[in-house]
Amino acid sequence: MRKGNKGALMLTSLVMALMLVVTAIPATAATYYSKDATVKDVVVDAATQGKVGNWGLGNEYEIQALLSKYGMPTTYLSQAFDMDGFDDDSILLASAMTYNELGLVKNSYQGGYNYGDKVKTIDMNDEGVAMLEDNIFTTDAFAKANPNTVKAFLAASVKGWAYACANPEEAAQIVYKYGSSVSSDHQLYMAGEVKKLVETDTKGNPVTAYGKIDDTAMQQTLDLAKTYIKLTDSVAADKLQTLTLDDIRDSSYFDTATAADATLGTPEKTDVSIQLKWLPQAQFMGYYVALDKGYYKDAGLNVTIVPGGGDISETTAVYTGQVDFGVTWVSNLIAANAGGMGLMEVAQIFQRSGLVLVYKISD
Amino acid sequence: MRNWKESWNRFSTVFYPILFGALMITLWQTGILHKILGADTFTLPMPHRIYTIIKENLPVIMQNVQATLIVALGGLFLGSLLGYLLGVVAAIFTKWGKGGLTLASAFNAIPIIAIAPILNNLTKDVSPNANIRSMVAKILVVTITSTVAMSVNAYRGLTEIKPFSMDLMRSYAATERQIFWKLRLPNSLPFIFTALRVSVPGCVISALVSEYFAEYIVGVGRQIRENIVLAQYATAWAYISVACLMGIALYVVLLIFESILLKGRK
Repeated sequence: MRKGNKGALMLTSLVMALMLVVTAIPATAATYYSKDATVKDVVVDAATQGKVGNWGLGNEYEIQALLSKYGMPTTYLSQAFDMDGFDDDSILLASAMTYNELGLVKNSYQGGYNYGDKVKTIDMNDEGVAMLEDNIFTTDAFAKANPNTVKAFLAASVKGWAYACANPEEAAQIVYKYGSSVSSDHQLYMAGEVKKLVETDTKGNPVTAYGKIDDTAMQQTLDLAKTYIKLTDSVAADKLQTLTLDDIRDSSYFDTATAADATLGTPEKTDVSIQLKWLPQAQFMGYYVALDKGYYKDAGLNVTIVPGGGDISETTAVYTGQVDFGVTWVSNLIAANAGGMGLMEVAQIFQRSGLVLVYKISD
Repeated sequence: MRNWKESWNRFSTVFYPILFGALMITLWQTGILHKILGADTFTLPMPHRIYTIIKENLPVIMQNVQATLIVALGGLFLGSLLGYLLGVVAAIFTKWGKGGLTLASAFNAIPIIAIAPILNNLTKDVSPNANIRSMVAKILVVTITSTVAMSVNAYRGLTEIKPFSMDLMRSYAATERQIFWKLRLPNSLPFIFTALRVSVPGCVISALVSEYFAEYIVGVGRQIRENIVLAQYATAWAYISVACLMGIALYVVLLIFESILLKGRK
């Protein structure tokens, strides 16, 4: 045995002991909500305890709108990208996307927390605070310079989404093939939930025109954005208040691309890329299906799908021209345009909010 | 002649960095820097715009600065104290102390982004108040990152004694305890500053990064992240500038302390 070993052991254990001191305090048992509790009861109680969670970074506005609706302050805990905080009760009312975190909370497959029906959710659409999420956007300048490329890209993407929604199981397989951060079981669950977001609007009505920009829902998103997006930069904050729908979306490309007698013309730029908001997963199945089935190729495009993840800023990637198209939440696009980017939404893939707040119920 | 040269040396150590800084800001404000870097004024805003944002939002920025400073200095203090104590323990039990410190240096190799989320989870039960437990987690991150530099340097300061000093102490028949208080401890003082020169800038960086993962949303580092993700580059740059100023200010404070406390030493 080397002479140094004993000392090393002692030194490491000193540091370990320091870390243990803070973990030794036992957790207090939490009380959960009755299954008949009203939304107001749950929101007010969790907010009073300061245990409402969200990821922040531009994902928080719907939660803040909901908190305001029930007269609570708009502060929330910063939630990690897993649901451990919800699992260990440090967050009582946790943010979850129906197609992602909620599946992990409920299901028992790999990475799941297996809560089954011991949890209930609060839906942003039902509460009237829904903001639109995954869209397709580019810069206004790119769209004006390459209208045929935009139209061809939209037509092929929408076709991909239509096929994916008709065949979610196959779509999940395709996404899994292109690289996946999660299990194939979760991918399949996600495809089923994403299909609902693409095919149903904020009021619960069925959507037939995949990707069409719903101006009523867009206006609600913009109004909530103006109230809850807080910008430090006074120039950007002032600009935010002056934004109108025409500054953030242009329906003309979508309308001509999907018209019955559509003539798309020759794309000005054939090599194009799309920046996803997150890792490869069924949330973006329409694009992977369009790529896999050759819809983009048929439209005369050579498309590269660029996965996101972590702190990737899809708005910046499109603005600087690293990529031509992007998928982002409408609120992120609004914030970026307030800051001075000339981004333009050209299609709205998710027609309702996929964000819910999940809470545990007592047996 | 010699005197003139010395004062020029002292002057130039301050003058050249300032000249370089002024040159950079001039290039930046005139847009030449943007051309060199191929950047645009949106992702790299002009200095006057960044300055305007700092000026207009000073109270909010100062709240975040305060939160970051508490974390940085709290962690620096605890880490340095712990590090020094480890150095003392290692110096008393020299046989295995040196090897132990080498192994403890391995802690320095752990990236902050790896320990920050772990400490967040470990400190969940510290307090029902998210602000407090989050602060504890962040301080622990800085503590861990600033411990090793201090312990290694303290060990050197306590053991690297000039042979003639030791001979002198022995000739006085001084006890180990007396040698420790009268010789080893004073001898380690310059080494403490060597350690602090590493860990003072380090503690600011650790504090900024630990805020990325913290449960409670506050601090200069967190604001940089939030604003970049929201594509608010001018505001993000305002916080980046503030972070730089914090680091520089702490370093200057350290140098002032050092020049006072080590006055008359070589």
